Amino acid sequence: MLLDKSTAGARWHLRPDGMEKVTGRLRYLTDLKAPGMLYGKVLRSAMPHAQLVSIRTARAEALAGVHAVLTHKDVPGLNRFGIVIPDQPVLCEDRVRYVGDAIAAVAAESPEIAAYALSLIEVDYVPLPVVDSPDAALRAEAPMLHPQGNVLHRTHYARGDVEKAFHACAYVVEATYRTPRQMHGYMETEGGLFSWDADGRLTVQAATQHGYKDRMQLSRILAVPEERIRVISSPIGGSFGGKDELNVQPYGALLALRTGKPVKIHHTRRESVRAGLKRHPMEVTMKTGIDADGKLVAHSVRIIADTGAYATLGAPVLNFATEHAMGPYRMDHVLVEGRSVFTNNGVSGEFRGFGGNQVIFALESQLDRLAAQSGIPPWELRRRNLRQPTDPGPLGNTVMPTDGAAQVWQEIQTSKLWQAAESEGGEKHVPGRPWLRLGFGAAMAMHGSGLGYGIPDPGGGRLGLNAEGKLEAAFSFEEFGQGIMATLEIMLMELFGCDAEDLHLMIGDTDKAPHSGSSTASRSTTIAHLTLSELHPKLTAAMLVAAAEASGHDAACLVTGRGGIWLEDGEGPIISYRELAARTSGSLCYEAAVHFPVTPDPVTGAHFLYTCTAAAVRVEVDTRSGTVRVLEQAHAVAAGPVVNPMGYIGQIEGGASMALGYTLMEDAVMEEACYRTENLDTYMLPTIADSQATFRIHAIEELPPGDPYGPRGIGEVGSVALAPAITAAIYRATGRRIDRLPVRREDLIMRLAGQTGGEETL
Amino acid sequence: MKALMWRAVVNGQAVQLSVPPTRLLLSLLREELELTGTKLSCGLGRCGACMVLVDGMAVNACLVMAYQCQNREITTIEGLASQELHPVQQAFMEEGGFQCGYCTPGMIMSVQALLGQHPEPTEEQILQGLSGNLCRCTGYGGILRAVGRCCNKMESPGQADETSSV
Repeated sequence: MLLDKSTAGARWHLRPDGMEKVTGRLRYLTDLKAPGMLYGKVLRSAMPHAQLVSIRTARAEALAGVHAVLTHKDVPGLNRFGIVIPDQPVLCEDRVRYVGDAIAAVAAESPEIAAYALSLIEVDYVPLPVVDSPDAALRAEAPMLHPQGNVLHRTHYARGDVEKAFHACAYVVEATYRTPRQMHGYMETEGGLFSWDADGRLTVQAATQHGYKDRMQLSRILAVPEERIRVISSPIGGSFGGKDELNVQPYGALLALRTGKPVKIHHTRRESVRAGLKRHPMEVTMKTGIDADGKLVAHSVRIIADTGAYATLGAPVLNFATEHAMGPYRMDHVLVEGRSVFTNNGVSGEFRGFGGNQVIFALESQLDRLAAQSGIPPWELRRRNLRQPTDPGPLGNTVMPTDGAAQVWQEIQTSKLWQAAESEGGEKHVPGRPWLRLGFGAAMAMHGSGLGYGIPDPGGGRLGLNAEGKLEAAFSFEEFGQGIMATLEIMLMELFGCDAEDLHLMIGDTDKAPHSGSSTASRSTTIAHLTLSELHPKLTAAMLVAAAEASGHDAACLVTGRGGIWLEDGEGPIISYRELAARTSGSLCYEAAVHFPVTPDPVTGAHFLYTCTAAAVRVEVDTRSGTVRVLEQAHAVAAGPVVNPMGYIGQIEGGASMALGYTLMEDAVMEEACYRTENLDTYMLPTIADSQATFRIHAIEELPPGDPYGPRGIGEVGSVALAPAITAAIYRATGRRIDRLPVRREDLIMRLAGQTGGEETL
Repeated sequence: MKALMWRAVVNGQAVQLSVPPTRLLLSLLREELELTGTKLSCGLGRCGACMVLVDGMAVNACLVMAYQCQNREITTIEGLASQELHPVQQAFMEEGGFQCGYCTPGMIMSVQALLGQHPEPTEEQILQGLSGNLCRCTGYGGILRAVGRCCNKMESPGQADETSSV
């Protein structure tokens, strides 16, 4: 289905958070204030790698208006954080490993005083050799960045015998692909408000994508039981994975504890760039072979990821990259070896696509190379290798059957964009403007959702009729723009047949909502669906029984509806939710604990639910300047039923925009482990002028018969397949292969005469 | 430093405040007047999250000092509409012109400035007028549809009304 407002029909639903957002009334957590509040700031390392000899804070402490200056000695519990492996110092003791490392934290009466106080802290460093790339880190003489060495994590996956199989291939291509250090670029930088109440309870109001995980980490750092910490983590001005790890929370909490006053921290953009996570730059070497019929035979992959100074989710990201290096294709002989390597660069971590983006760019580029070599059209080459619905997953893992790969393949081939490109017959030139070249390209991918085998992935929620007569749903998810509020509202309205006004949603608060797990990994839609599927019948049954008692009707003749309980034949409401709440006095309340569907096979990181996508683009390359314009995009997405069309469109368009930036302009450049791009004047995000392409989304809603898991999350899948589609189109237009992102304009500047482009056809 | 007696009209109300001459307009709006709809993001005029209108012109509030806006008429997102939503706000709601919403106030103010200057903008005027506002969530598709709706360029508002559910 071509998904837009007109085809969405009645499901085109105005977001419940919309009114507050368009009027500017919404208070983000960085907008909050409290009486007597202080401002916190964090001193970050002046050097990317050094020993700390001494930290002298006396001058800063003596400054008027300064209330606290903290160093590592002031951390009562574990002086480390990290979602999986806590190896990052909250406040460094004797060594710094990147320019975002925190050395001291200050609370003062104004941000200006706090900033001045930082400048008065004297730190003596002894510089250590800087490890500014994985290559440097893997050399024998490289300094050890962590006790276990410079390799955070290795992956190894093998089936068949690749080396032998390459000999049987008719065509083999090998190339190394390099991808950039992409910044999340959320518009709201990290921050929040931290306060301890008189009973020794901490309230944290700061963005994260997993409030309960922050609570656990803060409990460890503060040496305070989790129950004495409340984390309010929503609403958020964008995250994209970047705020899942702790950022300012430890400093705010420690400063508030020390001063006894509320403390606000809000990163400037420069602080955010310096300390914050980025997408892993990867070097992916692939050798891929097909037989004479175009069947993939052998595929060997080497991945080296620059994970930066600390672990955070570097290991799971590499697992994900390893799993996704085979794409939605059948191949008998596979070898994937990955290493995630510590360096003194900025910390790499979770980011929409989670390691898939890098390897999908490499894999799809390999297929285009093989197509060119063999003379088999690129899309036909893919067709010959597509996985079948009941095939195992990429790591041989049992998966929920999906025909998504074939569906998106077909959908893109029949798209308007494809048809137009075909009818133009591959014409590359614009009449009268010989410097412009046109090209068409397409690529596809499959993307796992949930955290994967081996990582506990529980979720759940609560549903009840509250004392005010509202159907109240509570989940610990966060709203960072993806539209979980609207999705929950639509699901509930359809389940109960009720109005939005009959509902009360509570999210993002560990005191008010049960554990739903993280708002990551395209998992929340599935968790919400599973949880509500369990809770809705219970609450409905209980309400109908209570309504039957009150009204004298048989419960079997009653249904839930707008405003209350109705007779099945359409009369009502015979009793309002409010009246029902008065009769049941808040006793109708149910909780469910579910688990994200997981593969039964013990393959670490492997997934069970996968979505598929294909993207096609038309580009125009100006060979005078090397500028690439994407003129038209088509995306096919197979992710089950569309619950929330506005959100779905927004996520695919937004994910694609992020991928456009990844392909054409974004890179947080570091030299000698220092950022050369410190703000949005030199870090280029796509603007509206980069994004005016015609954009069509083909949503494929059909799932295999009997699929119990319903709608899949689509927060990431829009961002994973666009880069190789664009580079394929650039190749078609100019004959230039792109192995490195972002595309460098200087590589596309051409002489007007005497240049030829790629020759293969659709 | 001698404080400055700052006078201006903010969202239709005369305001008089004693502020240091080093005060940015943005911090005056957010901290003194608690108009937190105007956001801080890059702090150097690139992202447009702090866009306000000064005498009807779009201005980055992170780049101008409060004293430079003495006796001017300043409109923030909070002053765009009184009771009913402004048509631009309504269009953003109905077309999905936002997601996280953090860039939205600045974006809407830029649209307002654009339409003030060009009630029937060309595509080029739209792209130019909004190039100073970054949105990381939407990919700008919903924003372009919202602007199109405001100036009846892309689709008839009637169709949109029929399909909205609230």
